[in-house]
Amino acid sequence: MSALAAAPEPTASLCPVCLARVPAVYLPRGDQVWLVKTCPEHGQSAVPVWRGAPAWQTWQRPKTPSPPPLAFRQVEHGCPHDCGLCPEHRQHTCTLLLEVTQACDLACPVCFASAGAAAGPDPSREALAANLARAISASGPCNLQLSGGEPTLRPDLPEIIAEARRIGYGFVQLNSNGLRLGREPGYARQLAQAGLASVFLQFDGTHDGVYRILRGRRLFADKLKAITACKDAGLGVVLVATVAPGVNDGELGALLRLGLGLAPTVRGLHLQPIAYFGRYPHPPGPGDRITLPELMRGLAEQSEGLVRPEQFSPPGCENARCSFAGNFLPTAEGGLRSLGAGAGNCCAPPRPAAEGARQTIARQARQWSAPPQDLGSLLPSITPDAPPSLDLFLQNARGHGFSISAMAFMDAWTLDLERARDCCIHVLTPTGDLVPFCLHNLTSSQGQPLYRHLGGGHAKIS
Amino acid sequence: MKAPTPRPEDFAWRCRQCGEGMVAAPVTLEYLGNQFTAELPRCPRCGLVYISEELALGKMAEVEQLLEDK
Repeated sequence: MSALAAAPEPTASLCPVCLARVPAVYLPRGDQVWLVKTCPEHGQSAVPVWRGAPAWQTWQRPKTPSPPPLAFRQVEHGCPHDCGLCPEHRQHTCTLLLEVTQACDLACPVCFASAGAAAGPDPSREALAANLARAISASGPCNLQLSGGEPTLRPDLPEIIAEARRIGYGFVQLNSNGLRLGREPGYARQLAQAGLASVFLQFDGTHDGVYRILRGRRLFADKLKAITACKDAGLGVVLVATVAPGVNDGELGALLRLGLGLAPTVRGLHLQPIAYFGRYPHPPGPGDRITLPELMRGLAEQSEGLVRPEQFSPPGCENARCSFAGNFLPTAEGGLRSLGAGAGNCCAPPRPAAEGARQTIARQARQWSAPPQDLGSLLPSITPDAPPSLDLFLQNARGHGFSISAMAFMDAWTLDLERARDCCIHVLTPTGDLVPFCLHNLTSSQGQPLYRHLGGGHAKIS
Repeated sequence: MKAPTPRPEDFAWRCRQCGEGMVAAPVTLEYLGNQFTAELPRCPRCGLVYISEELALGKMAEVEQLLEDK
């Protein structure tokens, strides 16, 4: 498979200027793959989406489509204009994202939706609860991420968490900049007692230079305080970095080592290559893009081989081209032992998409929550001569397992409607519809939103 | 941490092929390139290992989940 060259691959997209639906094609250019499309009115757009190894054509994990159990919208105008979801969507909801406020206490130069101080009124708790109940009737049990804006600005966040748990969301995660968590004694514990399991902590780098550029101010000390508060409260933490070329793409190894040093409270590192919607400094050129294989290789090079690209695999839930992930177990010698089959999934027969969603829901809930109490000490690097007992391995993996993952969001230039139809991260809109994350946040090069003007709130970058 | 201890009833089984009673023995299990040890009922003659439903649907299933990719 890997010996084959990438072949042109047709798909569909939108014009980045006017958002008209246009045909698109993935074209190989050397060891890169570019998405090329032409709008009759606004001309050609060409953007790199994959650079280097592991090769584009090997990054596959075929699935048979699983339409929504209950579709709130019918096919009327064609993808991507009928999201709700529509019956032609191909994956169930793995993570439901609910924006509880549009307000934010940062004014990041880079933000998915220009969230900030000038936000409209928050949706009422009753409206949120009604929509959460409606969503679970369509999606079935799934994980819930509370987002914004900055969700901790809502005074009734503990009550929202408790309500979500009552409605049936077993794993509730908070997407936060961490400021309030670190600064207000007892706040993290209050959220944990309400039923929160995990914090998806915006964490772009290991020094203030990164935060000054991406977030407009020094935040590193605040981030560490937030992690300490989460540890004391029994919350799991995932470090979430928006990766921008020339800003923090040299931070991958440092982020990994810092995360491992703060494990097991820190349960994983999640990378998001910068996507261009909402607020960003200038229209992106090819040099403003960083792709998934570059992140895999960067993690390997910058960690001096602590991880290797072949230890990551394409996802079993969303479209293969959207992400990579690997699960690891720190060893007593300071190394990382890879758990799982790595990239060996590419040639497996197709599996039902919903099966991947079910597994991912369970895996993320387990891996991203606080570790169990009976951690056990780290095991030595395991050799075939001295395998651990089954019990010891289980105890160790439950408590010390560390996930490394990345997700490449699509913007108006990189949008592939085939990928969008496979999406498993759905935003619950104020109207109670489910909209794939990238489509919900997508804005044209002129700042025109595809969906938010239809009643959506504001999301943020991590 | 001790290995999973077979329950007394697990030793009530006899090896169908040899007719021998099962005895506790160290066994190496492997999944996706990872090896683990466990003490399990084994036929002393042919080496057939008995894996109870509880073990298969419990700890072994959990290992499978932990080792499978996202």
